[in-house]
Amino acid sequence: MQPVNLFKLASLQAEWLSVRQAAIAGNIANANTPGYRAVDVEPFEKVLARTSVSLTATNEGHFGSRAQEASFKTKEDDRTTAILPSDNTVVLESELMKSGEIARSFELNTAIVKAFHRMALMSVKV
Amino acid sequence: MDALTTALKVASSGLSAQSQRLRVVSENLANAQSTGDTPGADPYRRKTITFAAELDKVSGGSTVSVLKVNRDPTDFPLEYLPGHEAADANGYVKMPNVNPLIEMADVSEANRSYQANLQVIKQARNLISMTIDLMRNQ
Repeated sequence: MQPVNLFKLASLQAEWLSVRQAAIAGNIANANTPGYRAVDVEPFEKVLARTSVSLTATNEGHFGSRAQEASFKTKEDDRTTAILPSDNTVVLESELMKSGEIARSFELNTAIVKAFHRMALMSVKV
Repeated sequence: MDALTTALKVASSGLSAQSQRLRVVSENLANAQSTGDTPGADPYRRKTITFAAELDKVSGGSTVSVLKVNRDPTDFPLEYLPGHEAADANGYVKMPNVNPLIEMADVSEANRSYQANLQVIKQARNLISMTIDLMRNQ
């Protein structure tokens, strides 16, 4: 069977979505904190671009065999400027929109993994 | 700690901060008529609450916590009530500097923020159960 990259890709996206959900939770929790700047996670395309193809290692000592730890950079969301006298840049509506977006992407992600998993199982089940 | 658990933790810190805000508001509203009991005595002084973002060192999420419960330094409004036991020599009583309209607006805002945090918790829980459903027998 050809090594398939989909599961890794899907788990990377699921992880990215969870990190983004955590960032949004932070924004919403701090919606009334004076001086708080809203944050967001860098787009998934950027994460994908950074994730390089690594050689398959059959031995611990092989070059580049270290498991790549996915890291997602959170940065200040500079698209919104403070509209409140408290210098807080959180807009509850847009945060909730983002949260809904995440839920839909996550649902799509798990649905695809499920379908793929079923396909993989077909070759195992008698 | 994984990110979704962090999200739950952060949102619950938001819930507790907003409920403490509601507590302060209800204290203010309950004491909107609490005057002193000796002539010229100070009445109840309005409480205010401030929040601060806090980095949760275990998970790396930015939780929210109550920074301080302060007292509102504005002047007390005077009311002419000569028969009152807290009336001064001219018959004026210092009333608490609580404005029920401001307090109600604060209640609404706390309510909205509380709802938003609850929504985040629901959402994170949905994401977790979607992940668990991957293991369900199909």
